[in-house]
Amino acid sequence: MKEIVVISGKGGTGKTSITASFSALAAGDLVAADCDVDAADMHLLLKPDMALAEDFYSGETAVIDPDACIACGRCYEACHFGAIHSAEGFYAVDPLSCEGCGYCARTCPTEAITNHPGKAGVWYSSTTRLAFTMIHAALGIGSENSGKLVAHVKKQARAAALAQGKPYVLVDGSPGIGCPVVSSLSGADYVVLVTEPTVSGVHDLKRVYELVKKFNIPAGCIINKADINTAIAATIRDFLELEHIDQLGELPYDENVTRAMVAGLTIVEHDTGALRETLQDAWKRVRLHVDSSTQK
Amino acid sequence: MKIAFTAKGTDWKAEIDPRFGRTDYIVIYDDVSKVLSSIDNRSVEDVAHGAGPQTAQKLFDLGPDVLITGNGPGGNAATVLQKTQLKIFLGAGGLSVEAAYDAYKKGTLATFA
Repeated sequence: MKEIVVISGKGGTGKTSITASFSALAAGDLVAADCDVDAADMHLLLKPDMALAEDFYSGETAVIDPDACIACGRCYEACHFGAIHSAEGFYAVDPLSCEGCGYCARTCPTEAITNHPGKAGVWYSSTTRLAFTMIHAALGIGSENSGKLVAHVKKQARAAALAQGKPYVLVDGSPGIGCPVVSSLSGADYVVLVTEPTVSGVHDLKRVYELVKKFNIPAGCIINKADINTAIAATIRDFLELEHIDQLGELPYDENVTRAMVAGLTIVEHDTGALRETLQDAWKRVRLHVDSSTQK
Repeated sequence: MKIAFTAKGTDWKAEIDPRFGRTDYIVIYDDVSKVLSSIDNRSVEDVAHGAGPQTAQKLFDLGPDVLITGNGPGGNAATVLQKTQLKIFLGAGGLSVEAAYDAYKKGTLATFA
């Protein structure tokens, strides 16, 4: 079973549209995982049924026991995050501001404060409208994505793929280069980089590729909206060649991409022309690469 | 000499876990006493951030001379490990611990720079 991770560094390059298209092209052969949990939107295209939902806990939040609290105010003085407020002579914790550092509990003379695991959100195991399994998650307000949540989503996806005998796990990776991306990339067999010829597109492509290189994961790149700036597109091609990154294909700026989105379909379901062909070809190259590799 | 492996199990047949920070187990082979041992690292699942440095600390306490893994440590863990004398070999993900040890002996694994 091979794990393919799609990342972009920069948002808005078309990463999720392309990931969803790949999933539609290989619907019978994969389990999908949406690790872009901060701004998860692959579900808009794939309409998962959320058949299994489980709470997800990450980090800790302080809780003050009102019966034990003597309202001395030491915790209020100690908190660096302004998370403790007083209400009618008692003190209470605002879970949105609390970082779970535990400093308040150390200052409390009556041991009225304890840390409890904080609910960060819900993770789901679903069947999509294209009949494959998708593991995804929704964060609660004020919660953040973490390496832990990404590792969990990927672990569930791998387990489902093994149980169903599917050859691929396709991961919609997290943005940026932080902890969730490290966790998205770790253990991957192949990385698909999605970029666009803009100043920030190239900048973020190079930043995120540093990480991919550090992990020694083979990578390919799709240049989306390749015709909006031909000079920068040429710079990207040079970079790909220099770094031995597979050139998987180039998509033009095309309003059919937006029309597919509006219709709630993946690009390859909506478009029957050049866009579909390019994506089919790109997916074939990805498969060829991962099917022939044995180590990571 | 002590050789550490990131692995999904605890014996010679276990598959190498390509992940460093979130590896399930660390398997240690002492080629003098010929003893294979392991430590359970699955508690790292509960760590939201900083899995890499935490596993690096555990590894440091075990004191191996060589680490054999898959993708290699991420930025933070790498910064810590590069301050030690540990030699890191990569690209063993998907192999068994046994096959990874053979590959290391034959010198076919990539080194971490």
